Amino acid sequence: MEIKADLCIGCGQCVIICPVQAIKLIDNIAVIDKTLCVECSICKRNADCLVNAIRSRRLKWPRVIRSPFSDVISTHKLTGIPGRGTEEMKTNDVTNRFGVDEIGFSIEIGRPGVGTHLGNIELFTTKLTSIGVNFERESPVSALLIDDSGHIKKDIKEERVLSAIIEFKVPLNKAILVLQAIKQIEKTIDTVFTVGVISQVMKNGAIPILDLLTQQGFSVRPNAKVNIGLGKV
Amino acid sequence: MTHSLHRTGKINDLKSDYIILAMLAAGINDKYPDAKQKLLRVAEILNQNNPVNIIPKPAWKISPVITATFIDIEMVKNVIQTLIQEDLGVSIVISGLISEIQEAVKETGLKMHTIHLSLGTFGRKELLPSEEILEITTMCGHHCVSPQSVKYYVELIKSGKISVENAAKKLSKPCVCGIFNPTRAIALLNKLSGIFS
Ligand code: SF4
Ligand code: SF4
Repeated sequence: MEIKADLCIGCGQCVIICPVQAIKLIDNIAVIDKTLCVECSICKRNADCLVNAIRSRRLKWPRVIRSPFSDVISTHKLTGIPGRGTEEMKTNDVTNRFGVDEIGFSIEIGRPGVGTHLGNIELFTTKLTSIGVNFERESPVSALLIDDSGHIKKDIKEERVLSAIIEFKVPLNKAILVLQAIKQIEKTIDTVFTVGVISQVMKNGAIPILDLLTQQGFSVRPNAKVNIGLGKV
Repeated sequence: MTHSLHRTGKINDLKSDYIILAMLAAGINDKYPDAKQKLLRVAEILNQNNPVNIIPKPAWKISPVITATFIDIEMVKNVIQTLIQEDLGVSIVISGLISEIQEAVKETGLKMHTIHLSLGTFGRKELLPSEEILEITTMCGHHCVSPQSVKYYVELIKSGKISVENAAKKLSKPCVCGIFNPTRAIALLNKLSGIFS
């Protein structure tokens, strides 16, 4: 994104709306910090700039990678879904992507609202690979992996995005290793991340992962997403 | 898209915050000739049950996901009942308090199939805005609502330059999925601006 300095009247609306505070008024002109800007297009869509000073630029590699991980309107080529994730459990009543005795994880780096450089993906993917995790093939993050050890392309590591979701599933008996890895990575990462855990609900209403989460010291929020089983093949 | 998952807030506030999401499975039940019609029918049902927000109408035909926000679990139950009657076969996900959803599902004769639990936020939490601001900003799970815009509108409300209702409307604008709950935002903005504590 760029701002035409000769047009800007310094109203400050774009400064207020930028989710990562990448815009500052300098001598009454809005200036974008290119390092911080995640190319989400929110300023262009929502600042209601009276003088049309906010302009999209044609982005070159590797900067172009920022947009699909930040701009909600931008559709990832791989998933065909606008946004940063996949169908995950939303259609599990049809796909059985997460079977009984399997646990899904969604780790969203940079959320809520802080952002991340893509290099942080490797903190998780290298560690998780070493404990035998296979990543969701349709996840946009999987498309960035260049080897079986969980490394990503070198030239994109410094690129900043609003968030990147790592999605995978493991057998229930391996979930403990993932939870332990999360605790370790939390100590070293330079941003925030959210963790979601996916499980089928048993016929008697039980959720098998709950006991393990408690044992490992994780607390579960009172609100969740529930697939109510109305989907049909 | 775990965009409605990590909403923060106290249990009482979350009692007026539910999202219903409808989706067909790619390459499975989205390939039938009437698939799009079925998804559109779900959008109509959601729209007829008084959502406080819904994915904009022009997007209904092109988006693979339909989303709407409700402030009352009774409305959610009405939606579920209609969906059961019409038997459209579209996958439905409800986001909100587990205890309330569990009850709604039971009352309508269904069972929870799969659950996506939130373990919350980890890492450098000192980088986050205050809990009160997060309660508003996390209502757009793609984080298109900036913390400083919340502070900005709180100041405008305090100085009488904007109504709480209009401020909530302005804050909901960047959320293109229709999952930002403007009614809940009004209550939270009232608290933040000291109108109601
Ligand atoms: S909204 Fe437009 S005029 Fe106002 S500060 Fe931003 S670029 Fe300048
Ligand atoms: S594109 Fe997004 S991150 Fe960049 S300046 Fe605009 S609002 Fe900020």
